[in-house]
Amino acid sequence: MERPRPGGAPATAPVPAARQIGPYHLITRLDPPGGHVTCRRFIARSADGDRTVLVNSPLPGADPGRFAVEAEAGRRLMGPWVAPVAEVAAPGEVPWYAVPYLPALPLPVALAVHGSPLPERTVRALGAALAETLQTAHAQGLTHAGLSPAAVLITGDGPRLTCFGAVRAAAPDGEQRAGLPGLEPGGIAPEQVSGGRPRPPGDIYALGAVLAYAATGHTVPEGDELPAGLRPLISACLSRDPAGRPTAADALTELAPPAPHATVLSSAGSLMTPGWLPGRIVAALARQSAEVLAAELRLPQPPFTPHVPQTWN
Amino acid sequence: MLSPLTHDDPAGFGTYRLIARLGSGGMGTVYLARGATSRTVALKTMHARIATDPAFRTRFRLETDAARIIGGQHGAAVFDADPQAETPWLATEYVLGPPLDDAVGLCGPLPEASVRALGAALAGALAQLHSSDVVHRDLKPSNVMVTAYGPKVIDFGIARAAGDTHLTRTGAAAGTPAFMSPEQATGQEHTPAGDVFALAGVLVFAATGHGPFGGGQAADLLYRVRYSEPELSDVPPSLVPVLARCLAKDPAQRPTTAQLAAELHDGHGDFADHLPDPLLAEIARRATEVWQYQPYRLPAPADSALAPTAPDTPAVSRRRLLAVGGGSALGVAAVGFGTWTWAGRVRGKEPAAGPTASPSSSPTEPAEPKPEYTWQIAVGQPTGIDLTPALASVPFPLGDQVVLAIGNGFAGVHAATGVARWTTGEVEPNWQVTSDGTELYRVGEIKESVGNKGKPWPLLIESIDLSTGQPKRRVPLIGEYNGVVYEIQLICASGGVIYATAPGKERDKEMSYFDHAQSWWLTAIDSRTGKVRWKQSLPRRPDKSDRLHFLAGRVVGDRLVLLQETNKGEVRVVARNTRTGAPIWDKPFAGIKPEQVRERLTTDERHVYLGSGTLRALRLSDGGEAWKVPGRVVGPPAVKNGAVYAVQKGIGIVAVDAATGKVRWQEKGTQGARTDLVERPVVGTNYVYARDPSGLRAVDVGTHTTAKVYETAGTRFCAHEKAGQVISYGNRLLAAFPLQ
Repeated sequence: MERPRPGGAPATAPVPAARQIGPYHLITRLDPPGGHVTCRRFIARSADGDRTVLVNSPLPGADPGRFAVEAEAGRRLMGPWVAPVAEVAAPGEVPWYAVPYLPALPLPVALAVHGSPLPERTVRALGAALAETLQTAHAQGLTHAGLSPAAVLITGDGPRLTCFGAVRAAAPDGEQRAGLPGLEPGGIAPEQVSGGRPRPPGDIYALGAVLAYAATGHTVPEGDELPAGLRPLISACLSRDPAGRPTAADALTELAPPAPHATVLSSAGSLMTPGWLPGRIVAALARQSAEVLAAELRLPQPPFTPHVPQTWN
Repeated sequence: MLSPLTHDDPAGFGTYRLIARLGSGGMGTVYLARGATSRTVALKTMHARIATDPAFRTRFRLETDAARIIGGQHGAAVFDADPQAETPWLATEYVLGPPLDDAVGLCGPLPEASVRALGAALAGALAQLHSSDVVHRDLKPSNVMVTAYGPKVIDFGIARAAGDTHLTRTGAAAGTPAFMSPEQATGQEHTPAGDVFALAGVLVFAATGHGPFGGGQAADLLYRVRYSEPELSDVPPSLVPVLARCLAKDPAQRPTTAQLAAELHDGHGDFADHLPDPLLAEIARRATEVWQYQPYRLPAPADSALAPTAPDTPAVSRRRLLAVGGGSALGVAAVGFGTWTWAGRVRGKEPAAGPTASPSSSPTEPAEPKPEYTWQIAVGQPTGIDLTPALASVPFPLGDQVVLAIGNGFAGVHAATGVARWTTGEVEPNWQVTSDGTELYRVGEIKESVGNKGKPWPLLIESIDLSTGQPKRRVPLIGEYNGVVYEIQLICASGGVIYATAPGKERDKEMSYFDHAQSWWLTAIDSRTGKVRWKQSLPRRPDKSDRLHFLAGRVVGDRLVLLQETNKGEVRVVARNTRTGAPIWDKPFAGIKPEQVRERLTTDERHVYLGSGTLRALRLSDGGEAWKVPGRVVGPPAVKNGAVYAVQKGIGIVAVDAATGKVRWQEKGTQGARTDLVERPVVGTNYVYARDPSGLRAVDVGTHTTAKVYETAGTRFCAHEKAGQVISYGNRLLAAFPLQ
């Protein structure tokens, strides 16, 4: 994947067509155009102004049925680093799902804002959080099958993993997945590209690709690009042979070595101490937060303009 | 920082619905609110009660105008406002970042790179303001919100813009003069160069955690601002030269905002690149928290009889009405007026509940035992200029109210219900307020003297309206006294005469201290005509002395009885003729420290009663000793209905015949042994009240034993006979207990 253009998407990139998804009025896109995201993501708000959400809908041409299945299944994903699916479309509706809004930057936007690959400290913290989430999912018998740079949202207190099941939704098992819209070409395990059913080692491959991307700007890094401290782990995750990859638990131990006096609080969260995020990313999060707070929905008042369709301005 | 709405907060203002409280103070409340278009804002309100004063309403409008001028890049963007509403309100951007004083409190002194970036950005903000012919006048750390993309300046010194440059008021209005320019401190015009001076002070604070002239009493600060070199020893060395030039006493020597910006920072990088990690983490926390907050409204207190809501202040939580202590700006609010004192800093800064929880502090626990107070409210500590804080005033009864120094002024509280009636908007040293039992007088401010070029101003005394706290009547200006000193003291008032100490006007500049070259007068002033009935010379005070001339005074018949303090700190009891001021007698009050008898003068029509040691009585007629009670060590006495009451060490209450000094009774039992010897007892009909470690103890005058102990956090007490209450004040709580 190409490194994103410096500047990334302005937080308030206009939404082309005045739109509403489910009960939510769109405020702005979350992703810059042209990225590798398997769904469309918007910051949106209920008409009464009380609920602001990230709402996800399938790309044009995607299979709405598989999207809806994955959205529903994604509700089973747990942990502090998951954007919890709070609401899904009603049966028969064009599918969408919504998670509560927090100021968040997709990882590619975060790199663009920062202006360079992220510091090793940040990569480690992100990696530990993702590994922790995968460990939980795998223990539940879930395979995420959607981890990619754009699926990782950076928030002020840690990442949020989204896009559950994107690989499965893109094409059914048994079909070639190379080159499908939204999928990150270098970020999918070879066995999944060739149509294999996504299994936990595929998530580990994606984890390696995401960490490589965070640390270098490329999902397929040159070996010497990687920081020495992360190189063995990332390289192991990116093994072509699924059996050669570490488990999520191994990766977590490698990224966040247990404290000598481990407590129940020892987790990836212990790495999100002040300074874990570079200043410009914090600034971009704060700016997005301020802009979304100040954003207005200019909805027509039904009693006065009964015949004008609802629009977003 | 985001706290729940209280049960008596309104649903909204204009088209805005309230979501949370951001902070509250004596002047108004700031809310997080959401408009009809779903925009979330910081909504600042001014209490409708205060907005009835056109001057405050004008100030609100000017503040709104100034906020619009500075705009959203360097300030909090203004979205909407209605200064004409019954409760005026202003909706601005909710600024995501801490004020600089909180930032330094949280992260410690900022690194040099942060200070430079902050300084350059603030210089840019000032340049924009100055180019619009606006001078900020009140730049200080609490008025600078640090966001991730630059500082935002809030809270303009509108009071000064409106032309009030009176020295004492300026120092008071800003809460602290620590960041004031020397020209401002002397009442001269504050130009853009004055803002540069203040900016440098803010940067010194950012780099070190203290202002360039230290802290402490306002008068000391004002002196150092004007005459001392700034304290820059712990400022990073490379910053010292430029900051020292900004802090030049001569405005012409200071750099311009453009020079300052260029010298501080070369413009490389983003603002956030220069911020330390803990500050970035705090900004990130604030940016996220606002989205995670769940709106909530606190239920009404379980026993609503204990928490009457003032019917005329529907938009105001009575509980918070007087909570005006603490910092001078909201930790979290996007906007706030520099001249307002806010409870602010909601984190951990709720007025401390005493041993007796107030009903509103635990509204969800109806099972709590019914408190014994008639009412209790949280009040702020006085924050005004007070050279001798140990001598803080006691509340005193006036009509159906209790008057007390609070926050940056005075407040009147309805004694029967605890409903706050008014607050004065200005700071007064508390000795500049007195009452004759009907009228409340204070040393006023002389607005028409602006432009007086540092010349002495005539003394102004005003009568305060007891329904609004606003000046209602002026005693005509008294030209023979200089009205610009803290030590002017209104001692007492009686029979249409105000007794005061005032400085002569031979000085041609204002003073913030006693000064040996300055003459002082004890004077009697007609409260209607302003005519000086008489004046008597007082000893000169040494330079920088902080000894007031009088500790207490009251009129009995034709005698003005005074506790007078000498230059050496000795106390004398002096009786003067109220018609001429001539001393009739003058006796030493040996072995007493001045602070022991501050506002503790006990007389009846026959005697002056002295305690705090041996209990004795001096005849008002000639000052001779009428009687004394040997062998007993007592605290200060109280007198009522022919009996003198005091707390005797080791015993408790002792009652003595006022005419003869014969002991009538003393307390039985062991409970009195720990009774406080500092305060005068409060005398009711059936009980005498005194403070001991367990609270306010009521001793039965018939059985001479403890009848009851009220838990209270109060430390000072007075009787409100008309309301039938003992008023208790201390530890930020004002409470009333039945006076029986």
